[in-house]
Amino acid sequence: MITTLIRYFNLTFLTLLILVMLSFGLAYFFPGDPLTNLLGTDILPSQPILMLTSQQTNIFMQFWYYVQALLAGEWGVSFATGKPLYQDIMRLLPATLELSVYAVTVALLFGIPLGFLAGMNYHKKIDNIFMSSSMIMYSFPVFWLALLLILLISLQAQWLPMSGRLSLLFNVPHYSGFILVDILVSDIENKRFAFNNALQHLILPTLSVAFIAFAVFLRTTRRAVADVYQAQYIKSAQTRGLPATTIFFRHVLRNALLPVLPILAVQISTLVTNVMIVETIFSWPGIGDWLIQAIYERDYPAIRTGMLLVSVVVVIITMSLECISQLIDPTRDRFAYARR
Amino acid sequence: MIILDIKNLTLEIESNGVLIKALDKVSLTIQENEIRALVGESGSGKSLIVRAISGALPPQWIVTADRLTWRGQNLVKMTRAQRQAIMRRDIAVIFQDPMAALDPSAKLKDQMLESVPSEFIEGRYSWQRYASRLSISHKILHKVGIQNIEACINKYPHELSADICQKFMIAMALVSQPTLLIADDPTRGMETNTKKQILALFTRLNKTRNLSILFVSHDLLAISAMAHSMTVLYCGQTVESGKMKAMRRRPLHPYTKALMDSAPSFSPDLKPKSMLVALDGTIPTLQHLPIGCRLGPRCPRAAKECVQMPIERSINQHTYRCHYPMHVESV
Repeated sequence: MITTLIRYFNLTFLTLLILVMLSFGLAYFFPGDPLTNLLGTDILPSQPILMLTSQQTNIFMQFWYYVQALLAGEWGVSFATGKPLYQDIMRLLPATLELSVYAVTVALLFGIPLGFLAGMNYHKKIDNIFMSSSMIMYSFPVFWLALLLILLISLQAQWLPMSGRLSLLFNVPHYSGFILVDILVSDIENKRFAFNNALQHLILPTLSVAFIAFAVFLRTTRRAVADVYQAQYIKSAQTRGLPATTIFFRHVLRNALLPVLPILAVQISTLVTNVMIVETIFSWPGIGDWLIQAIYERDYPAIRTGMLLVSVVVVIITMSLECISQLIDPTRDRFAYARR
Repeated sequence: MIILDIKNLTLEIESNGVLIKALDKVSLTIQENEIRALVGESGSGKSLIVRAISGALPPQWIVTADRLTWRGQNLVKMTRAQRQAIMRRDIAVIFQDPMAALDPSAKLKDQMLESVPSEFIEGRYSWQRYASRLSISHKILHKVGIQNIEACINKYPHELSADICQKFMIAMALVSQPTLLIADDPTRGMETNTKKQILALFTRLNKTRNLSILFVSHDLLAISAMAHSMTVLYCGQTVESGKMKAMRRRPLHPYTKALMDSAPSFSPDLKPKSMLVALDGTIPTLQHLPIGCRLGPRCPRAAKECVQMPIERSINQHTYRCHYPMHVESV
């Protein structure tokens, strides 16, 4: 257990180090003065950044000060707004996380049970229906799906709002950045209406992200369940005369869910990409929308920091999921090492 | 009394749109209180028979049989629940590969405890019932010869060696006190001492508890020591079956003869430095099965008729399928 933790910690640390190095290098590849690209300003507020710009340092020391500045939250200043990036990002990141979390939850809530249903009826009618429909869902480009939803549900039917997080009528003070939490914590009037309004705004973006993730989870779960039902140990449990419910809960459930978790970890990066696209389309004030704006405006410090932060989040989530799945799966390291 | 009666069991597998008969008119009966050996080369379909009896075949494989009955009840047409009840109490199966037949993600303890039939469990409250399950499991595990039960029972299957897992399989099969034990190569990979111990346990249960055993193995020596009767399988066809003694003395089918001759310790009058007898060629793959008697191309006595499937004939409860049997004059 401790070896696994240490191994994953090392892996995460090295990956993050490489990411930081890349982001540092990025400033040299962008046109213009590297230091300006890095900081976005000439006004130097703090000690590490001061050292970074001093003429006596070489590139390695510069990198070291850059890391220090990153850790201290001195991420530079946006070209476009002139405001510190740290505050901008900390304001925007929760919105993105919120959208991703809801989308994953929806996809898991529907994908896994339906995947079980399909896997248990392997190669029967219900399985074929699920498979073909999930194939169609999987093949949808996310941006087109989002546009289609806006066109049909927001513009034609006028059921749901088409952009933003919350109607402008409500003024919710910033607390955690997660809009639903903020509304619940705040003591504004019409709390219920605000909450409902936020939910209405959430539905379309969540659905369009969850759509593809749902198809992936459905297919993965179905495959795992079908494989487990084919396995010799299920047959042997059946020949021992165990009731079907016992077999399902004691043997099928765990063995089928164990391979799903690593797949979930792999899906995180795709999911974040989709969230960023969906944010742009729905004008969701998240980091994706902001980053794409930054790219339009050639806001180099913003691009660098935004990319670094998104990739750090993805790496950390992926690694922790991998690590958890490794820890809870008693069979996973069966072939990893020779017997001790 | 016959407890398990199989007549003309055929198992067809579809491969590339062609139906292949993996088992072709297999017949097998097991009397009450009998140890019957099922012998054949690897790939001859022994395990398929075991899985067909226990119902552990993939649903897309087609099983047809004139008779597949347990004490007169048709196993093929039975509902799931009825079959499950029979498998729970009357028939126990030990599968060939213990590592694959045990759930890799559950501790052996859980798997062992859940195989204890609820009829044997005493006590009203869950902790009493748990203790009862545990003590029953301990007894049976001790019986099959696991030394440090406490250490083994809390492990996952992959943390233990294959022969201990195999013993757990045996214990799980025996804990329901079945009438018929189907043992598919139960002593594979075990050392000689352990093997003897297990076989002795089977023989003892056969004598004291009237346990009938269908013993599937290659190990002719072990079989001849314990089995009462034997069925020989070649390429999914039963070639001969009968009492052990009669078959040893006068095998009727050329394949049985070849099988017996291939084990040197089985023919005591073997001269030093004499040639070991073996049939030419190898067992054909399922894609290239010969028509008629499947031994045909390898058989020393084969003739033109052998492309027709020989019908089953029987002399003194000794059945065989061959156009040109051996030793017939002397029977």
